[in-house]
Amino acid sequence: MGGEDFTALHEINLRVEPKSFMSFVGPSGSGKTTLLNLIGGLDTPTSGDIIFCDESLGGMSPDQRASYRRENIGFVFQSYNLLPVYTVYENILFPFLLANLKESDVRDRVMSIIDQVGLIPQVSKRPSELSGGQCQRVAIARALVKEPRLVLADEPTANLDKENSYQILELMLDLNKKFDAAFVFSTHDEKVTKFVRREIGLEDGYVRWDKRRNGDGDFE
Amino acid sequence: MILGIAWKNFYRQGVRAFLNVLVTALTMVALIFMLSLLNGFQVQATRNMTTTDMAGGQYRVPGFDILTPTEWEDRTLPVPEVLHALSATDKAEVLVLQGQLFPNRRLYPVQLRGIEMDQSLLDLPLSGLKTYGSQFEDAIPVVVGNRMAQRAHLQKGSTVVLRWRDRNNVVDARNVRVVDVADFINPRVDEGVVWVRLDHLRSMTVRPSEVSWVAVSEFVGSVDGLEFNTVEILMADLLALLKQDRRNSRILWAILMFLAGTSVFNTQILNIFKRQKEIGTLMALGMEANQIVRVFVLEGSLAAFGAVILGLVLGIPFFMWFQSVGLDVSHLSASTMPVRERVFLDFQFFEIMSSVCIVVVLMIFVAWWPVKKISGLDPTMALRGRGIT
Repeated sequence: MGGEDFTALHEINLRVEPKSFMSFVGPSGSGKTTLLNLIGGLDTPTSGDIIFCDESLGGMSPDQRASYRRENIGFVFQSYNLLPVYTVYENILFPFLLANLKESDVRDRVMSIIDQVGLIPQVSKRPSELSGGQCQRVAIARALVKEPRLVLADEPTANLDKENSYQILELMLDLNKKFDAAFVFSTHDEKVTKFVRREIGLEDGYVRWDKRRNGDGDFE
Repeated sequence: MILGIAWKNFYRQGVRAFLNVLVTALTMVALIFMLSLLNGFQVQATRNMTTTDMAGGQYRVPGFDILTPTEWEDRTLPVPEVLHALSATDKAEVLVLQGQLFPNRRLYPVQLRGIEMDQSLLDLPLSGLKTYGSQFEDAIPVVVGNRMAQRAHLQKGSTVVLRWRDRNNVVDARNVRVVDVADFINPRVDEGVVWVRLDHLRSMTVRPSEVSWVAVSEFVGSVDGLEFNTVEILMADLLALLKQDRRNSRILWAILMFLAGTSVFNTQILNIFKRQKEIGTLMALGMEANQIVRVFVLEGSLAAFGAVILGLVLGIPFFMWFQSVGLDVSHLSASTMPVRERVFLDFQFFEIMSSVCIVVVLMIFVAWWPVKKISGLDPTMALRGRGIT
């Protein structure tokens, strides 16, 4: 910031297991989003590396990173980031178009996930015609429709009210069970904490704690 | 896939896309209008000079200079037979001499211009003189233009004293009667000019069959005693003026192009600026940089193509309407520019094509350049809206 070098993350060394449902928590500026962006290949680390299924992101070209995101990652953004001129259906179809698949071949899969997120009545609506909760459902459906190995959700409940937040979290938990994707959140929303099975605390770019739930559902 | 996405992105922007296209189309129409109007002004000026004065050139008495009135009397010669024999549609004999009018007892130096009545080469409103015979009676019939009448306080029917010097250096004076105040489209044959029948002027000045020049439809070869002046020579001052005007119009064109470019650039860059997050989202979803660039370049191309089509739709009826009414430039009648009361457009293919091409290329460039820049950054920069600031 202001032209000065700023180290956002220090000595991070962690492993995300398949099918995990975990969160990075911490105050603003602690490095949650940066860590999520690094894992998602949206940002490149100045030092260190991210290994995804034995493949180093550091050695990838920008196009290879784009391919990595397309094939393996689903993103859910705080402000949804839906394509504004597309309908619900088209937004969710979009990842398939990027993979050069024909609409006719994937229509059923798109409609199936729209059904799972409960947006069948809104299928032809554009994002501007939807509520915040509905937009986030579309974003989740778009992130999951290609069944990625990893879903990265940056503050997914930050723009939602309490009721919608719980609905979205329950939906993601449900989808985590149905799909094989691991879910990683960045959040400072305490509601999220109730749902995750693992919580990594970040502060000033350092990992301060890494807690997992035990058999009783408590963090240890 | 890319074209489908670009097309969807373009037409689904709705009013925003339409306004973008509309602004660009109007810019193109305005550019073409301005350039064509300037062309029309210049073409009309040269055409009016040709049809009312220069024709296809003039055989002049050597040394004759319209700007040196004191020598006019010395620069007359009998019209050579080869020119006199030309048909009335191909030549007009003209005799120019000095004279002084005395309207309201004041002296008003004038150019006495005698012209054949049966000529049809030049388009001059001299029908008022045709009704008179070759012999004048008590007053000599003359025609003056609107500007001349206004300056000298003359009107149709006015009788004033005219003084002149004949070939024998005898000063004569006689009443002239203004038989018509005519509307000359060329101020150069109006202001300070008193039109007389050629036979009358020759008789008055004892210069039978003499001329100052013979305007011809085209060069008919060398003629003994006279030298041929091409239209370019005769209109040298006007052409120089128009050349300067054209230089100025090029500067104006450059300024207008700059303004148009700025407008297009501003609209497009604002569009891209607002869509940085969208670009970041496309990158996050796994779209490659070159694919994103192609989508936006195609969108820019569609907008440019739409602007050309809309420009045609708006421009053609507007230009057709304008050609039917023209632009009233009667306020310029006080100037010496030989323009009609109304100016019409003169379209130059090269100018139109170059203007349209520049706007189109600019639109595509502005769609390409910022997106190329953004797509080369980490997606987070675009997602945060910091790709271009």
